[in-house]
Amino acid sequence: MKGTVYLNDKTGIVVIGATGREASQVIKESEALYPGIVKAGITPGKGGSTELPVPVFDTLAEAVKDPKVGKLLNTALIYVPPVSVLDAVMECLDNGIKVLYIITEHVPIRDSQIIFQEKERHGAIIVGGTSLGCFVPSVGRIGAIGGKDPSVAFKDGGIVVISKSGGLTVTTAEMFKRRGWGTYMALAIGGDIISNTTYADVLKQIKGDPKVKAVVMLGEPGGAYEEQVADLITSGGFDKPVAAFISGRFQERMPEGVAFGHAGAIVERGMGKATDKISRLEAAGKKFPVKVAFYYHELVKAIESLGVPRDFEDSTAEHVKPLYTTI
Amino acid sequence: MKLYEHEALGAIFKKYKIPVPRYIFATEMNDAVNQFVEKEPGVVVKSMVLVGKRGKAGAVKVVSDKAKVPDVVRDLATREVYGEKSIGALVEEKLDIEKEFYLSVTYSTKDRAPAIIFSEHGGMDVEEIDPKLIHTHVISDVRSVYPYQIRQFLTGIGFSDKDLLRPLSEVIVNVYHAFVGAECRLLEINPLVVARSGDKRKIVAADAVVILDDDASVNPAVVYGARSAQGRPMTQREQDAILIDQGDHRGKAGSYVELDGDIAMMTFGGGGSTVTAETAIEAGLRIANLTDIGGNPPAEKMYRISRIILSKPGIKGVLVCGGTASNTRIDVTLGEGLAKALDDMNAEGKLDKNLVWVVRRSGPEYVKGLKMLHECFVRNGIRGEIYDSQLPITEAPIRLKELLIKHAGYKPEKIV
Repeated sequence: MKGTVYLNDKTGIVVIGATGREASQVIKESEALYPGIVKAGITPGKGGSTELPVPVFDTLAEAVKDPKVGKLLNTALIYVPPVSVLDAVMECLDNGIKVLYIITEHVPIRDSQIIFQEKERHGAIIVGGTSLGCFVPSVGRIGAIGGKDPSVAFKDGGIVVISKSGGLTVTTAEMFKRRGWGTYMALAIGGDIISNTTYADVLKQIKGDPKVKAVVMLGEPGGAYEEQVADLITSGGFDKPVAAFISGRFQERMPEGVAFGHAGAIVERGMGKATDKISRLEAAGKKFPVKVAFYYHELVKAIESLGVPRDFEDSTAEHVKPLYTTI
Repeated sequence: MKLYEHEALGAIFKKYKIPVPRYIFATEMNDAVNQFVEKEPGVVVKSMVLVGKRGKAGAVKVVSDKAKVPDVVRDLATREVYGEKSIGALVEEKLDIEKEFYLSVTYSTKDRAPAIIFSEHGGMDVEEIDPKLIHTHVISDVRSVYPYQIRQFLTGIGFSDKDLLRPLSEVIVNVYHAFVGAECRLLEINPLVVARSGDKRKIVAADAVVILDDDASVNPAVVYGARSAQGRPMTQREQDAILIDQGDHRGKAGSYVELDGDIAMMTFGGGGSTVTAETAIEAGLRIANLTDIGGNPPAEKMYRISRIILSKPGIKGVLVCGGTASNTRIDVTLGEGLAKALDDMNAEGKLDKNLVWVVRRSGPEYVKGLKMLHECFVRNGIRGEIYDSQLPITEAPIRLKELLIKHAGYKPEKIV
């Protein structure tokens, strides 16, 4: 298999909510970039429609029985409105799809919780909600990550970028590409409270993959997912270089009670705040190849100091000159 | 979204049969409050604010002398608590308290499950309770909790007040049902009290902190009205900004929050906006406002939000910053929308020429868009630098700081 469990050369995508504005654009773009990666679309009431470059079905049950595409479907890309996401996830799980991406933002937390429980019960992989998708330049793309021309940000290489924020996933890949490191995989895991794929989940999956040279993780305050990375590394569960940036230190200077409830502070005592996450990762960095960047752009320096070899030449000058100046 | 205590009592606690004290909410002293107080031997008066630790700020008062009630109500209904203006007062029966527990339900990301948190040592700041005395019960299936499970949990942690075992387990299950049913992120009762009532004992929620899921299937802002995340009423500019996105779903430009500083921030994309703001603060810039723009808004929306951002008094610098957009057109947003706002404000004599600008942006049509913006800078005498994505995104605020120090004598905040 070429690629990862999240996206590989066997990946066959079925898009749920395929005829919506965003989804149909993504299908067309994907078809232009990696022809054949999307196999089918589902929109109730639009079965048989020819408006997309892939066949459209009313139900996933029909699609998986289809003699042409049915056997090829193994990955779902969910683009339905927030209140319909739980329904879409259940449709996928009950029809045997084992890798799901939830692109939809603002899924109700209660539904996210049920989705997580059902994912565990079915032994599936779900990325999101609020995922932008996944990019493995050597294999293909799931979702809109990188837009119309992903070559601006992505070039094949050895870095794995994992981020809650979709936009930052791309921005980070581009920053590294300019400095000589390419991307093996970029995965936007989304920032939902109940996350179906956490940083630690990903590290466990890619642990033995020889293509992985280093991991760049972008964290945010809230929850315990970044802390779990520190725990995984210190317990010997991942030994490749990890450069991390945790945003949100400034929120700690905001008035009390704005960002976090008390209960969050108790359930996850010593976890959740950006500074907690940073100190946990820094502590891991004393014995293991982990570096936390103070400024986001210092991630490049962090990867450099961890001794991760460049995939190609550094193409950016040390001091960038403005395009225009009026001062 | 956080609810005021009286909203939580009226809308949620009542519906899910969580016992609460007799109460009345009032924005001012009136006959209804008088009639309520008549029947009570003593009352507790609380300021209705969203900020926590009201007690320490003197915004919760026990009043036994009825003659003093009107003054206390007038005071607490209008006073400022940690800078937040009270919207009214909650007047409650004074309970005869025997014990104070701590109870909350929230989502534990560690377990990726809802968790019930209970302590027999409530009433004080939870942070001050010995962690060994706080107990967590993780719910394995969000859809079902029974009182017997709670009794197993309580006996398991050594809860020894046998008379309370059944009623307490039932109250906790009701609280859990409220948490799930009302789609909360947090439901906290501190203290949950055991009160004497004649020769009986009853369990009563003497406080209510409810944070609803902003993404709940019924939007809480529709039910309770929009409120600022900062626990203060919205400013006029914040209210004006909200109108930008109303009735026009193309892109998003109206998410605007004001702070106390002197640097205007026009940022694009959630994650990018956060790290840019973060870096600006770490670099010692004082932020005047934050805007999160995304989804390819039309020029008209950009025009309106640009004028709002720049109209905040006391601004010294402006940062326009975003990553490499996937969809958002740079010629439309910056080359047309922002540039027209600058042209018009200059023509109206409302543009401060002393401002220092740094622009960092890439995405569809960025070559054209940045050139258009540069031409606008030139014709309006605006001072600044314009970059594309060669400059790492978070170096933009640092560059702005350097320019401000050099050209405007700016004194950045010292951050340790």
